[in-house]
Amino acid sequence: MQHHAARRRLPDSERCSTPSASFRPSVDSHRPWVCLHPVDSWRKFRSAAAMSGFASLCRPFLRISCGSYNVIRQVEAAGPLLSFVLIGFVCEGCSRTDQYPNRPITLVCPWAAGGGTDRVSRQIAQYLENELDVPVNVINAAGGQGVTGHARGLQARPDGYTLCMMTPELNMLHWRGLTDLSWQSCEPLMSLNEDPAALFVRTESPFKTITDLEEVVRASPGELKASGTANLGTWHLAMAGWLLSFDCQPTDVVWIPMRGAAPSLTELMSGGIDLVCCSVPEARTLLDGGKLLCLGVMADRRLDLPGLDQHPTLKEQGSDWTFTGWRGLGVPRETAPDVQKRLVTALQKIVKGESKHEGKTFPEYMDGEGFERTWRATDDFAAFLERSDATMGELLRRKELQGVGSGRIGPYDFPWVAGGLSIGSLLVIGSVAFRARHAGPVVEVVSRHPAAGSLSVNWITFVVVPLATAAYALTADTTGYIPIAAAILLVFSLLLGSPLRTAVSLAALASVAIYQLFTCLLRVPLPPGWLGW
Amino acid sequence: MSEAFQTAVLNTFSVNTLLAILLSATFGLFVGAIPGLTATMAVALMVPFTFYLDPVTGIAAIVTMEACCIFAGDIPTTLMRIPGTPSSAAYVDDAYALTRRNEHQRALGVSLVFSVTGGLMGAIVLIVAAPQLAQIAFEFSSYENFWLYVLGLSCAAIVSRGSAAKGLLALSIGLLISSIGIGSTHGVPRMTLGIDQLASGISFIPAMIGLFGFSEVLRNVRSPVVREQPAESPGSTASASRLKTALEDVFASAVCRLRRSAGRILTSGAIGSFIGMLPGAGADIAAWVSYAVSKRRSKGSEHAEYGRGSLQGIADATTANNSALAGAWIPALVLGIPGDSVTAIVIGVLLMKNVTPGPNIFETHLPVVYSIYITFILANLLLLPLGFLAICLGSRIVRIPRHIILPLILMFCIVGSFAINSSYFDVYCMLAMGLLGFVLEKYGVPLGPVVLGIILGGGLEEKFVQCLTKSTSFVEFFSRPVAAVLGVVCISLWLWPLFARILRALRQPA
Repeated sequence: MQHHAARRRLPDSERCSTPSASFRPSVDSHRPWVCLHPVDSWRKFRSAAAMSGFASLCRPFLRISCGSYNVIRQVEAAGPLLSFVLIGFVCEGCSRTDQYPNRPITLVCPWAAGGGTDRVSRQIAQYLENELDVPVNVINAAGGQGVTGHARGLQARPDGYTLCMMTPELNMLHWRGLTDLSWQSCEPLMSLNEDPAALFVRTESPFKTITDLEEVVRASPGELKASGTANLGTWHLAMAGWLLSFDCQPTDVVWIPMRGAAPSLTELMSGGIDLVCCSVPEARTLLDGGKLLCLGVMADRRLDLPGLDQHPTLKEQGSDWTFTGWRGLGVPRETAPDVQKRLVTALQKIVKGESKHEGKTFPEYMDGEGFERTWRATDDFAAFLERSDATMGELLRRKELQGVGSGRIGPYDFPWVAGGLSIGSLLVIGSVAFRARHAGPVVEVVSRHPAAGSLSVNWITFVVVPLATAAYALTADTTGYIPIAAAILLVFSLLLGSPLRTAVSLAALASVAIYQLFTCLLRVPLPPGWLGW
Repeated sequence: MSEAFQTAVLNTFSVNTLLAILLSATFGLFVGAIPGLTATMAVALMVPFTFYLDPVTGIAAIVTMEACCIFAGDIPTTLMRIPGTPSSAAYVDDAYALTRRNEHQRALGVSLVFSVTGGLMGAIVLIVAAPQLAQIAFEFSSYENFWLYVLGLSCAAIVSRGSAAKGLLALSIGLLISSIGIGSTHGVPRMTLGIDQLASGISFIPAMIGLFGFSEVLRNVRSPVVREQPAESPGSTASASRLKTALEDVFASAVCRLRRSAGRILTSGAIGSFIGMLPGAGADIAAWVSYAVSKRRSKGSEHAEYGRGSLQGIADATTANNSALAGAWIPALVLGIPGDSVTAIVIGVLLMKNVTPGPNIFETHLPVVYSIYITFILANLLLLPLGFLAICLGSRIVRIPRHIILPLILMFCIVGSFAINSSYFDVYCMLAMGLLGFVLEKYGVPLGPVVLGIILGGGLEEKFVQCLTKSTSFVEFFSRPVAAVLGVVCISLWLWPLFARILRALRQPA
């Protein structure tokens, strides 16, 4: 739909102006052959081939709806189209220039769809797509408090085709022993924003300034309850640092682990906790609605966004504690310098507002969403990462924070209860079955249907299905989606007794159609592999 | 007020907005019908484009897409037993049972008509009572949420057919699976066997696709389902009368049911809106609770049908999950607190347009609010014809020969589980869950409670730990009025069978 138009808009003129690029020998180990064809005509050809493939796949559906056609005949009639598709297929393999980037780039976002990091990722992806002239797809690898996403992004092949949106957790997880990744596992490209943490209370609460709060914490440690994220998450450390800055212990305010800022704010409003520590944009709607009071922003100066500049900083109130969450792009270590340079050049244009997408610039977008937008490029970013890593290490190695999280309920209590329940119910089921067997005739639980094929063929097919699935997971990354999918479809279809021609047509058409459907229309990148489709 | 309403009408019925609504409806139906792609994902894909649309158009597109996505999730659920979206998981057994009886048109018709009904009911609740109801969100602290989760899990006992022990086994397997990975409460990797990818736990979507879809492929391979083929309609029938037959097939029983059980549908709609508006609970929990209530209220032969193709169960659950969508907008618009993941995105989009959701939105941006109301109604009405088309096209799937459709289903299981996180590990998860589902079904263990356990397990543990960290004794679980009511309801629900038995024992000798 719309993004097609957006993606097709740029390329032609730019590609034509650098014809020499396509004559250089290929450096891509996957595609050793050199190719002299103009790119765009092949691209169009490929799309046309895929569309016709898709159309012919759809035809059976439409025909049966007319009620008078035989499906199998329809699929077989697709033979000529099939060959057309296959030609498109093979040609596509040699349609690439060797200049980076020449295939879709994946941007890994370590947090779930809909959050702040996801929104920034998806927006920067749009601008990168414009600048780099290839699709940039965002995938969300959420969970594990950020371990999964950062590992996916930074342990990928260092070819510049996987970017990682990094967040402060990168500098925290390794201190907690959850992963080996640190900022040294990445080549920092560009940081995009730095949202300072802030402390919020309800408007009705007795605390009006940060000093009120400090006095209560000093007078009765352990009485106040706060939240904002999980134990030892970003905002927990922000609060712990603030407490330490006036010689209180991090445990003097009880931290209730929550899934994120949004549920914490709801809990605050319902009176379950007294204090929330999170970034300002996360609390913005309630803040603007007059439901929350910001006691202090943990930054050097006030936010310079309209409406947000009225909130005082901690510094104004006599504390020197600052803490910012940040978002930045990086690539895996040992990515080639010229690839990094290409990306940084593009990013620099974007953050400076020189790149427009549908008439708007990236800084305009960030302002609109209320995100702060300090950016730091390569070396500056690296220095920043090193500093922040040191601060985090200092905080996380303190023994006061070591015991946090091992509360009344240990991590394995819940699984034990669940496991106990399942063993208990298994025993009950077993004893009932045992008694039933000795008491009366066996009751068949699963109704059997008359088998169509012979039993042995069924057994082979039965084993092939899980094996094929495992084979896909094992090999798809190397071979690419289309070959392995076609193989699975072919074998499975043949085993179910379909004629060879039908099976071949099905395999060729369906694999190509599904690939085009997911990568082009739905922007879900499937592995390109050998054919580089 | 009337002026604001006029502006809203003009904005909503502009060519741009109507076109955006139509396109996003089609896209929503399409994405929803593909297993593994959720409404959240569809909306997240939309977000970069909404930046260039004006606020009303952007929001209208999101509203329409969401409504269409949730309905479209029922199509693969019914036809292939792969729940298209998590909220379809509650009635997957019923819907698929109907397909095996060749009544898929009826099943989908019911789910379409009641999706629309539920959507409209949710919209009405949103329009009439949003400012008043929004305050409820602030009544829900972790204690209330804990009891809500317990109530949700208790549904497993009701929804599972067969013996209670098997239901409990399924539920506890689900809970066990949900506790894998680095949880949000303890921050300690559990049962990850040193595998990095397990740190994020078992993703819900691949698990669901595996449990239902993949295990069905396996079962079908072992013992092919022989469906009675309907009599082939003669090819020469005029298209007008064919259309009439199709309309009758799809809508007849649904409309009749709508007339007969209006009261129950109202209840389901209310349950849906209420659960939808609580932050942290969404359309999927609404569907489960409503299904359980529906089963409780049914009697006799109708009761026995649940889990074996009950149209009433589908109707109630699908009403609830659609009305929950509009419910989630209540706290989002009025308070700026997201009711679910889609409204979290919506708040971002609104902020981007300089519309700050919150109590002031009714004064500062009344036209936007009105156009959201109008779009909700418009989107649901539009769903009726578009959904009908989707049903007609989709229903052809069941007539495709087995040796073509089974490989395609397998492929969609694989790609669907891969798509959500683009992770090969998820494909293994799907495979493992599929084998588990196959084994469990062989021994008559229901799969519904497994899914329920996976959905609710993490939240339950989290809320329990939060409550215990805050409180000093168990009495505090009942210290707030709403919490006390919910707690008593839960406990009496569990103890009811015991009570009933004691009462019977007391009555008999007398």
